[in-house]
Amino acid sequence: MANPQFVILLIEDDPPIRRFLRTGLGAQGFKIFEADTGRQGLIEAGVRKPDLIILDLGLPDMDGVEVVKVVREWTALPIIILSARYAEQHKIEALDAGADDYLTKPFGLGELLARIRVALRHSATNPENIQQEVFAAGNLKVDLKNRLVSVRNQEIHLTPIQYRLLAVLVKHAGRVLTHRQILKEVWGPAYTENPHYLRIYMSQLRQKLEDDPTQPKYLITESGVGYRLKG
Amino acid sequence: MPDNVVRNIRHLYTIFTRDAVDCLRVGSPIAGIHDPSHPINSTTHNWQVITTSESLPDPPFPKYLGYLGGVVVPTLCTLINWPLRNHVGPTSILLVYLLGVFLVATRFGRGPSVFTCLMSAMAFAYFFAPPLFSLAIADTENLAGLAVMLLVALVTSKLMDSVRSQAAIATHRERRATVLYGLSCELAQARQEEEIAEIAVRHIQAAFGSPNTLLLPDDQGQLIRPPADSSPKTLVDMDWESAQWTFDQGAAAGKALDTQVESDTMLFPLLGAAGTTGVLVMGHPDPQRRLVSEQRNFLETFLNLIAQSLERVKLAEQARRSSIRVETEALRNALLSAISHDLKTPLTTIVGASGTLAEKDASLEPEDRRVLSRAIQEEAQRMFDLINKILDMARLVAGSLHLDREWSALEEIVAGAMGRLEQSLKNRPVNIQLPDTVPLIHVDAVLIQQVLINLLDNAAKYSPAASPIDISASVTPDALQLSIADHGPGVPPEAADQVFEKFFRLHPESTPGGVGLGLAISRAIIEAHGGLIGVQNRLGGGAIFSLTIPLDEAPPLPAPEEQTGYPA
Repeated sequence: MANPQFVILLIEDDPPIRRFLRTGLGAQGFKIFEADTGRQGLIEAGVRKPDLIILDLGLPDMDGVEVVKVVREWTALPIIILSARYAEQHKIEALDAGADDYLTKPFGLGELLARIRVALRHSATNPENIQQEVFAAGNLKVDLKNRLVSVRNQEIHLTPIQYRLLAVLVKHAGRVLTHRQILKEVWGPAYTENPHYLRIYMSQLRQKLEDDPTQPKYLITESGVGYRLKG
Repeated sequence: MPDNVVRNIRHLYTIFTRDAVDCLRVGSPIAGIHDPSHPINSTTHNWQVITTSESLPDPPFPKYLGYLGGVVVPTLCTLINWPLRNHVGPTSILLVYLLGVFLVATRFGRGPSVFTCLMSAMAFAYFFAPPLFSLAIADTENLAGLAVMLLVALVTSKLMDSVRSQAAIATHRERRATVLYGLSCELAQARQEEEIAEIAVRHIQAAFGSPNTLLLPDDQGQLIRPPADSSPKTLVDMDWESAQWTFDQGAAAGKALDTQVESDTMLFPLLGAAGTTGVLVMGHPDPQRRLVSEQRNFLETFLNLIAQSLERVKLAEQARRSSIRVETEALRNALLSAISHDLKTPLTTIVGASGTLAEKDASLEPEDRRVLSRAIQEEAQRMFDLINKILDMARLVAGSLHLDREWSALEEIVAGAMGRLEQSLKNRPVNIQLPDTVPLIHVDAVLIQQVLINLLDNAAKYSPAASPIDISASVTPDALQLSIADHGPGVPPEAADQVFEKFFRLHPESTPGGVGLGLAISRAIIEAHGGLIGVQNRLGGGAIFSLTIPLDEAPPLPAPEEQTGYPA
């Protein structure tokens, strides 16, 4: 999917990781700009007008979450964060602040490219305006316009909350959503501290939509962070 | 008689029928401190009482009552005497007055008793001593009687004053002993510096009525500032330099203590055997007043008790830390010897393969290049797994294991672990048998998932390729049991415990590399959740690792929905 017009800004303080990403992503046809501090990154983000930002959460001069917040003040361009293991809380903060996706170090180039594709697709179609009306992945089909859900062309009956939950995931298909984000959208801001609601409904959805709920193909758990609808 | 006179007489009657100690308790504000229901924050009152306790205590009743008695008592005596005047002599009449004066003297101190004495003398002179209806007294005997009456008034009031003062001092001492006892009891149970500080502040506030706060030093000997809103207002604008000076010098400071400090607060060091352990900052209800020496002593006792407790807690903490340090040291040594081999092996491959790629690129066939790259990737991944295990263990040993408990679904945890092991479980059937209704479990899902990853990874490593792995769960009313069974060689019964120890490996030199930490980490995580982990052999060969996690009471569930769903 070589697409030379896509510009990626890489904010990462570790030179070897920058080198690896520059080489790997450059070979895929992306144009890469680099910054090794948060401040530098924010300047570059304004000057280079990137299509996507890859941001390391552990920067020497400022917290990556702060960078996300500042960027979100003026643009909705996709941000993929890189973080260390055991930094679930940090990841959640960054995602809640508006980051689109995350990768835990170490990661392979293939994984990163997949995330970049999803993020760019969402950015290009701009989910707020042009809502994809039918989502299809494998045997699962969700028609948001007609409120129809089917597996192997068999219509599935969902309760209102189950449907709302699925619709939220479909709207952000491919992206990770934190528990808080889902709870807020499905149940409302007052319910963000009730993650067990989410678990119960997610389990119900899996029972209805997955062939084997213990090895889900669509409704993927991002352990300690949230959920992702694969597609 | 008018109503108010009757009331006053009744009041006097109640006063006279109480014994002296009772009067003290009811009347004296000191007694208020004894009263457990006495609110601590009405303490300005107590403060004044403690300062005045240096001189004679106030009589138990307001002075005006005494002077009122000085009018009422002689009147009563006159009324009693009047019908008797023709039957008894003036001496007996004088005795009735003497009784009245005596009673007043026992209750009201010198002033009112002398006043009563004078009133009685006048009444006696006017109504009974010849010449009648004049204040003149002709008889020397009557004059002598009056003189004795005055003397009785003076001596009695003096005696009663000293009795009262003794009683007050005794009460005061008893109170102090009780206060100190309460403080030392609470301090003895405290296990943390913050707890001690809280107890100390509360007790000092109760005993001295001053807003106060206890400043503790950090490890560098700098006093830690409390959050601005936690300490009373007067203490917020305290002089920090003086507080630090007090801590460093171990000497008290404050305007009220004659040292040059701008603020009105007083600073006392907490002196322990091994140095200053903190600083007490004490506000002053009245900036003009100085601590009297007796109170200083009392406060010193408080400070000593607090300093000793702080020192005790600090020593206990040091002992705990040094035992952790010893364990960490042992772990570090074991770690070094164990990992040097395990890390060197993959590194050898990585260095060799990458060197070949970098230097002999031109002469390599594309297929060779792929093989070498693949080797680098696999070995790097292996190193990464090893390092993660070592870091996990280091975290667990350091005692920094923090459980981020949330209500989690078991199927999600299992699915998460399966997802992470996609590569190593490729081509291997995994049978997952979970009951239909597994309750939510209140656990740290990331850590429990790590346990499953470790167990599944072991099962994959030590059982023949393509042999199935079985995951099953069962639920009892108070626990969840999860088993992972493989078809490998199993674990010898004598090693069933050992396999969960750090760095233990059944076959140290066998090919599937590992440091022998996975099971130790798993056990630490499960035990932190209050659960158990164990291994058995299954009939027909293979190992079954099972873990039990206690079930907490389920969280409130969302209200059930009506089943008319979509499509409508």
